[in-house]
Amino acid sequence: MGVLDGVRVLTLEQVHALPWGTSFLADFGAEVIRVESVDHMQDRRSGPFPDGQPSDEWWNEGGALAYFGTRNKSSLCLEVVHPRGKELFLKLVESTDVVTDNFRPGTMARLGFDHESLTKINPRIISLSCTAYGHTGPWRRAGSRARTVDAACGLSYLTGYEGGPSQRASSNYMDHSAGDNAAYSIMLALYNRERTGNGMRIDLSMQETGVSAIGPAILEAQRGMTRERLGCGHIWKAPHNIYPCKGEDRWAAIAVSTDAEWRSLKRAMGAPDWASTSRYDSPEGRWQDRHNLDEQLGQWTATFGPEELMVRLQEYRVPSGAVFTPEELASNPHLRERGYLQEFFNEHAPQAGVRTYAGRPFQAPQMPLEIKHVATLGEDNWRILRTLAELSEEEIDDLAAEGIISERPKADEPVP
Amino acid sequence: MLGILDDVTVVELSGSLSGAYCAKLLADQGASTIKVEPPGSGDPARMEFPFVGEEPGPNGSSLFLAFNTNKRGVTLDVSRPEGRRLFLRLIPKVDVMIESFPPGNLEDIGLGYTVLSEANPSLILTSMSYFGQTGPYKDFRANDLVAQAVGGFLHSVTGSVDKPPMGTVLEQMEITAARNGAIATLAALMHRKQTGEAQHIDVSTMESTVSTPSGLIHPYSFTGRGPIRGGSDGNVMDGMHLFTRDGEVTLTTAGTGGRPMEAWAEFLEEPGLLDSKFAGRRGRMENWRELYDLVAPKLAEWNNLDLMEATMARGLVIGLVQNPTQVVESPHLAERGALVEINHPENGPMMYPGPGFLLDGVNPMEGSSPAPLLGEHNQQVYCDQVGLSIVELENLLDEGIV
Repeated sequence: MGVLDGVRVLTLEQVHALPWGTSFLADFGAEVIRVESVDHMQDRRSGPFPDGQPSDEWWNEGGALAYFGTRNKSSLCLEVVHPRGKELFLKLVESTDVVTDNFRPGTMARLGFDHESLTKINPRIISLSCTAYGHTGPWRRAGSRARTVDAACGLSYLTGYEGGPSQRASSNYMDHSAGDNAAYSIMLALYNRERTGNGMRIDLSMQETGVSAIGPAILEAQRGMTRERLGCGHIWKAPHNIYPCKGEDRWAAIAVSTDAEWRSLKRAMGAPDWASTSRYDSPEGRWQDRHNLDEQLGQWTATFGPEELMVRLQEYRVPSGAVFTPEELASNPHLRERGYLQEFFNEHAPQAGVRTYAGRPFQAPQMPLEIKHVATLGEDNWRILRTLAELSEEEIDDLAAEGIISERPKADEPVP
Repeated sequence: MLGILDDVTVVELSGSLSGAYCAKLLADQGASTIKVEPPGSGDPARMEFPFVGEEPGPNGSSLFLAFNTNKRGVTLDVSRPEGRRLFLRLIPKVDVMIESFPPGNLEDIGLGYTVLSEANPSLILTSMSYFGQTGPYKDFRANDLVAQAVGGFLHSVTGSVDKPPMGTVLEQMEITAARNGAIATLAALMHRKQTGEAQHIDVSTMESTVSTPSGLIHPYSFTGRGPIRGGSDGNVMDGMHLFTRDGEVTLTTAGTGGRPMEAWAEFLEEPGLLDSKFAGRRGRMENWRELYDLVAPKLAEWNNLDLMEATMARGLVIGLVQNPTQVVESPHLAERGALVEINHPENGPMMYPGPGFLLDGVNPMEGSSPAPLLGEHNQQVYCDQVGLSIVELENLLDEGIV
């Protein structure tokens, strides 16, 4: 039983942000029907594949597919650009609660799937569009990648090594933020509909999701203040950086905020002479001499492994953490003990074997979440068309014969 | 305010940024939110540099102002028995409590989930912490940088491969934890409506960091190799930041119909880009300095907004690397009403970011209230809501409990 049991979502989604967002809804029990097309197989092509090798059924076995692509969702592989496909999509809208898409603005209207059209079929419909810049404003037509959103929202400008140029803030953090925001806003709309009976149109902008995450800098800019790039440094805290540890490319973070934490750090180091200067007794003094301080501290940290250093400093209550690699995280004892990591065997891709996945970062005892099922391409064609669109078996056979529904990629689709 | 959550009451007892932002996400959608701060200094974020007011002071920190919109503020020393008792008088009328004490501290002061549940069996408690309420690291101390370290963000996501790990700024891991906290809390409110059951939610910032970049755990598990930082190094066409006349930009090869160099050669009027050594991604990386020398002078002829307009018209995809001032002054965001004006009694009117979505074409934060002054709503909450007399409140003020 999930909190969104009985909620049906039809989603025309690609790539990252929106599939990530709707995966929350699926985890919470909504019937999320991902409407796919054999002409747009990039998500199923994106892997990662078991041991790097796509098998004969590569389209059902990718790791990203299981992590969020069709995680706990249904798959309806239906060509909605075909008139018959479009008609069936609109038929499904009658019994649907939420329609989501991440096309560029205008595409849904061309298909006849814009909010106004959907409302005529189902007055209580909630629709969400997830785009780079929203459906209004002069940039609405612009395409994007996750990093162009990091850039446009202001986060990348502020990111960079000390004294160096700006650098992209992340790989796809903004995809995830926008996905989180999609899940949150759809749940808000469902909450609202429960109270008022009304549907809603949600115009989600990835750029604006990013802007919402840099509020302090937005306020400062209006007072003419700027922030310098400081790498892992901090605008007033020191020592606050990453420090070398034993091993190649091994590091740990130390973040001292208070004088008490500084004194603890000194004790942890055995009170070396260099740290005993009164200059370091105040945050200002430490910050002004932070490069020397970092250098000295780094000579000490380099005698420890990253995890060893973290444990030692934590014994002294100094905020610190190993710079963990993905390999270490996949077997991290803390995450294991908390049951955060999930070992999952995808029964539809047995050749992939058991693989490890990140879990949801919250534990809610009444709402346990996990990957239970990963939809194969077109897995739910028959069920959905029979029960929701009320088609006969013959009609469904005809759709398959005409290539309007599919359960496999096209014959000429190359192996990734 | 649109006020979707205006039938929800939230109390935030939290000195952390993830807790404050989680409560903000609910407050910005109309939840009646009371922020409980320690008397005297208040939330430590109040004294976080820099200050947008004339003088440094507890009501002018940009961080505090940005993370605490639409809340009412009271002060209370919950570690003292009278403070604890008063807090427990608030709880029966509250739907959600958000806290971020180190795990176990609430129990130590007699405000653990069991006690709170006795005061209000339908209370949803959302605990925000860096490592979660259980596990061998639960008592470890951290901040946003440490979360980026232990969550894999530093090693694998931002920065350059030939340099030490580097992350990003402005407490993004705290915000990610907060977004997850808000999703879980809203789900818990729905669950309670359906079943009557309350619950205690345990949100971990470390786990929020691990689960957020897509490619840490499962890619390693599938391939034996995880990602490593440096995805933009030497990547002129797909990742580097390049200067324009009045700013910076990052190009992409998207929208070029699979012929990126032809499309960009035509757009930039630079036939040198057609050289066969730049045709493939690998060749572009190997010869990136040469490519940079061709592209950079051409881009330097453009103004940011003109470049955006012209590339859009051709279907090319770029990202302007905007600084916060350019974001604030963005004609696009202005036309959408993405920022809302909020007037603060000490700092005056300023534009604040909305939630990132418009609902039925409207920014749901239109008509928002500013972050509370320290103790601004003591009388309103303790007298009007809890039912203390003015004299009782004054006594608590004298004793430093409020």
